[in-house]
Amino acid sequence: MLTLRDLRKRFGGRVAVDGLSLEVHRGEILGLLGPNGAGKSTTIHMAVGLLDPDEGTVDVDGQGSPRNPEVRRLLGVAPQSLALYDALTPEENLRFFGRVQGLSGRGLAERVEWALSFAALSDRRRDRSGELSGGMKRRLNLAAALVHDPALLLLDEPTVGVDPQSRNAILDRVVELRSADRAVVYTTHYMEEAARICDRIAIVDAGRVLALGTLAELLSRHGGDPTLVVFRDGAEQRIVTRDPAGELSRILAAGRVDDFRVERADLEAVFLHLTGRRLRDP
Amino acid sequence: MSASRSRAVWALAAKDLRLLSRNRATLFFALGWPILMALFFGYVFGGGGEKGRIPVVVVDEDGTSEAARLVSRLQAESGLQISSATREEATRLVRQGKRSAAVIVPRGYGEASTRLFHGAPARLELEVDPARTAEGSMIAGILTGAAMQSMQDLFTDPARTRAMVDRSLGDLAAGPPGKRGDETRTFLGQLRTFVDGSPGTDPATGSSGGGTGWKPLEIERREVRNEKVGPSSAFDFTFPQGILWGVIGSALGFALSLVTERTRGTLLRLETSPLSRLDVLLGKALACFLAIAAVEALLLGLGAAFFGIRPTSWAMLAAAAIAVATCFVGIMMAIAVLGKTEQAAGGLGWAIMMPLAMFGGGMIPLFVMPSWMQTVSNVSPVKWGILALEGATWRGFSAAEMALPLGVLVLVGLAGLGLGVRLFRGGEG
Repeated sequence: MLTLRDLRKRFGGRVAVDGLSLEVHRGEILGLLGPNGAGKSTTIHMAVGLLDPDEGTVDVDGQGSPRNPEVRRLLGVAPQSLALYDALTPEENLRFFGRVQGLSGRGLAERVEWALSFAALSDRRRDRSGELSGGMKRRLNLAAALVHDPALLLLDEPTVGVDPQSRNAILDRVVELRSADRAVVYTTHYMEEAARICDRIAIVDAGRVLALGTLAELLSRHGGDPTLVVFRDGAEQRIVTRDPAGELSRILAAGRVDDFRVERADLEAVFLHLTGRRLRDP
Repeated sequence: MSASRSRAVWALAAKDLRLLSRNRATLFFALGWPILMALFFGYVFGGGGEKGRIPVVVVDEDGTSEAARLVSRLQAESGLQISSATREEATRLVRQGKRSAAVIVPRGYGEASTRLFHGAPARLELEVDPARTAEGSMIAGILTGAAMQSMQDLFTDPARTRAMVDRSLGDLAAGPPGKRGDETRTFLGQLRTFVDGSPGTDPATGSSGGGTGWKPLEIERREVRNEKVGPSSAFDFTFPQGILWGVIGSALGFALSLVTERTRGTLLRLETSPLSRLDVLLGKALACFLAIAAVEALLLGLGAAFFGIRPTSWAMLAAAAIAVATCFVGIMMAIAVLGKTEQAAGGLGWAIMMPLAMFGGGMIPLFVMPSWMQTVSNVSPVKWGILALEGATWRGFSAAEMALPLGVLVLVGLAGLGLGVRLFRGGEG
């Protein structure tokens, strides 16, 4: 659905994207995981045709570059900022964004109804958008990207600044989109979100893809072995092992154990392993 | 442009107009502030004393009590502001635009107005500027009404009625015989009998020739072209000033809204739609143009309805309004691309527009500026906007005279639009 090949983008002396290649397929959620300034937003901007790459190509569904307006009809973009008009109601916002996407008449009305329902805002349709809660605005921001029923969705940090309940609601809706056979590119710096909903995860830093694969693949390739933590006689013992169960059996055969746990690697550990830095800024 | 793109551009413009209608601050600067400016300075410069009253000069060459009654009635009319002068002075006042019309009561008016149903009608002369057709018709109507009121007064004063009937009977008796004269004589005789029956009567007699097609009043209307170069009231120049302030307020509001689209991310969303960057700018320009046109129409309508603003040519006024709107749409676009943030664009906009407005006649009327200031004002599009609007109203510019301000306004507008399109940073900027 979306193919990025060897993209490079430089702003003055700063390299923002440095030879980045990715593919996203229908029915797939691809996570772009990386810290702020990693090049995720620049990559998204090139993927939707806002920026021309200095080198490399972008292809959407085999139809060419998104610089072509007809190709952009296939795209839905939810920017990181709340790209809405506060003085308009949710219904007016959706109707307007539907119109600029070329919808009209009954088709527009039906899609607006669908989008309001998707965002669970049908009962707030006539309130000013500026009066909605942060979570509602985030859902409306997502619905505005979907009102014209695009095949490819690019969601840039869609859960920034929302409470856990709204975050869960948004993530559930993104998962619904995969079921509807849409391709989704999901940029985030929350590793929990990437781990929860993404089929594949690209770890991005300094404008490059450092690793790409399913969560399990990334953990097994870059996460290191699990750690068995054993408590006995008031002391803690940490044992890094590929076989925590076997190791625990051996310890139990040798004596009593008060408690134990197994610590497995997470994406934070993967990122630390790949870059030598933590994912989140201190 | 394809139909779907046109629809999208209209949708953009409609969205911006809806947002404008919900933004009280921008609405105030686009509408409230200019009206306050126009009224405040209009009254400060002395334009408010005779709000809505048509200035008319009356010349009484007759000097009879009938003429005096007519003048009193005109003075009692709430829609008229009456002064008196000699015939030459009255014509000069109309020519200079200091009065809308002159009403001349010639010799013989009093005598003719006491003749009933016969003889030459009472005659009045009305001198009007041809550009004030509506006012001329209104004054003619008031004069006819006043004459009819005189007749009514005759019949409510038995002494005057009797004298008038006796005089008319005497005129008829001295005139040639005829069927119509006989009928009039019979009617007047019966009227005399009726009046004699009224309390406090004092009979008398008289006669003359019979009349046909008799009417009580004849108004001789003449055109006196306004040759003055100067406003007839302060509102003539404070309304164009107010309109320009409204136009500036609208343009800066839209410049800010374009910057806000960028900072809020809505521009990014628009640019990832099938619309081109040019379409987005066209939508914004269209909305700004329509908003400015609405401000102009509202203020001009208000000025025309209540403050005596009169266009010398509707076509030229429309051309002036369109040129002003084009110019400030271009300025809006230039300011929007030069300011990176709302604060920067707002500050930059007022920093540029305030001196241009002050030197361009936005506060001090152009015609009272010292010559050096008038020269400096040539750099200000505000000056050319005011000049174009005044040219189509009280200055009475010819098409050739309008060409310069209209040309400057359109050129500035196109330059601003070109700059805006060239330097516009999109949603990623």
